[in-house]
Amino acid sequence: MFRYIRQIVGISYLQMVWIKRQPTWIMQGLISAIGFTMLLYVWGSLDALRNLVIAYIITGAWGIGLNIVAQTIGWDRINHDIEFYVASPVTLSVYFLGTVVGSSPFLVSSIIPSIVVALIFRMSLFPIIVLLPLSFIALLLGAFLSLSIILRIEKRTNISAITNPLYTLTITLPPIYYPLYVLPYPLRWIALIIPSVPIMELARWMTGYASIGCNPMYSIISVVVWLIATLYIVAKKFKWGLK
Amino acid sequence: MDNAIEALQLGRKYGKIWGLKNATFTAQYKRLVVIVGPNGAGKTTTVNILTTNLKPTKGSAKVLGYDIVKEYKKIRRRIAYMPQEFTVGWDHTPLEVVTWNLVARGWSIVDSKKQAREWLELMGLWNVKDKPLRILSGGQRRRATVATVLATNADVFFLDEPTVGLDVEIRNTVWKAIRDCLREGSSIILTTHDMKEAQMISDKVVLINKGVTIVEDTPINLVRSMPYKYRIIIEKIKGLDIVNEYIDIGDRLIIYATNYDEAIEIASRYGKFTNIFGIESIGLEDAYLRLISGDRNV
Repeated sequence: MFRYIRQIVGISYLQMVWIKRQPTWIMQGLISAIGFTMLLYVWGSLDALRNLVIAYIITGAWGIGLNIVAQTIGWDRINHDIEFYVASPVTLSVYFLGTVVGSSPFLVSSIIPSIVVALIFRMSLFPIIVLLPLSFIALLLGAFLSLSIILRIEKRTNISAITNPLYTLTITLPPIYYPLYVLPYPLRWIALIIPSVPIMELARWMTGYASIGCNPMYSIISVVVWLIATLYIVAKKFKWGLK
Repeated sequence: MDNAIEALQLGRKYGKIWGLKNATFTAQYKRLVVIVGPNGAGKTTTVNILTTNLKPTKGSAKVLGYDIVKEYKKIRRRIAYMPQEFTVGWDHTPLEVVTWNLVARGWSIVDSKKQAREWLELMGLWNVKDKPLRILSGGQRRRATVATVLATNADVFFLDEPTVGLDVEIRNTVWKAIRDCLREGSSIILTTHDMKEAQMISDKVVLINKGVTIVEDTPINLVRSMPYKYRIIIEKIKGLDIVNEYIDIGDRLIIYATNYDEAIEIASRYGKFTNIFGIESIGLEDAYLRLISGDRNV
């Protein structure tokens, strides 16, 4: 077990180095979070800020999965790093968990603003802890969704060209930073098809920080279906050796 | 069991095309076997199968006595692979890539750092150990990659064209490191296009052409199997009537002779009409060309 953890630490350090060399990426996330908080505070309401506390955690984890983890795996595949690791004691779980942990510094730029906003408005921090398991699911689903597309790409530069618009499509456009219940009913069902929306709905329901727009059971079904579907596609396309 | 690697009629299909048709060879323990062959011959496919990256479509192979499909986990614990055109890291420093890749294999951080220092010194990279690989030269990056792989002390190393693009001095450093690993007890499979490299460092050469193993033998035996001993390099001009076996390399011809007297005679015969660039003993490259092209003028 100790050896297994050490292996994960090894991979995570290697995957983390570029963040260590360019910490401005995290600073950029922090600054945009502060700006977003100011925007909602000035123009919005306490409800908007309560929703924001949850949204930071969920979108942070979703973004890490969809952008950082998936891009890293996509690049590693094109750069032959995967072949290098397959022919070694590094297993798929070590590699994947190491990559997730190695990408986790980006969560700092989500969690810190979330906690700060919660503290300023005297909100309980307990729901944020409750969100952590859900944020891990968000990370996994984001990574699987992104990987199910970018594992078909052979050109390195095309990877970012896919993941960045995918992030906008799943976070900026749908009801993540605004509530689902503002949409009329037919649109709510359509929105629930976008995988980030049911996760955010579940986060609202679990924390009670914001009103939900549909029965949580529908959100659970949508998330489970997405997880199974994307995991199936990724498992078919991504083999840890013996291809 | 004398063989670290045994490949029997290995084949691999990509769609409807056979990338490898029939690779059969063995590699003894603590020996360096060099796989040579033209582009697209199936060298990398062979190595990818043996490193358990690819599944063979047909045939079987054992690495360290373990079946590559059924017992791949046992193999992976004891091998290390340097893929073709692979550079380990970009923003990483040489010290980081060697150290943390060892940690990823399960080494302790203390042992990894010690081992990294040893290998970076051996590869002449200790003075740039803290500089990101992206600002180092191509040769330094390649040495860092070789150091990362060889520092693992694996039982079998697979090195796919590890010295391509390196200058003579750096290449010699890499060769020395590779031969040192053999003395430490590792077995090595290396692919190359460079016949001088194969002749210089290999214990055995496996020639693959069009997906099939043509021959496996020691470099010296392959050279001795040639019916010629010398080659004369001349400038190609129109109207030369050449009766000996020769190879056309564009503006020059390589003519083969069975002995030194015949080589001198050929040089004097054609020296009246054209330039003679040299008379040399034949090497592995000549044997390779002859085996690849068959017993005919190419």
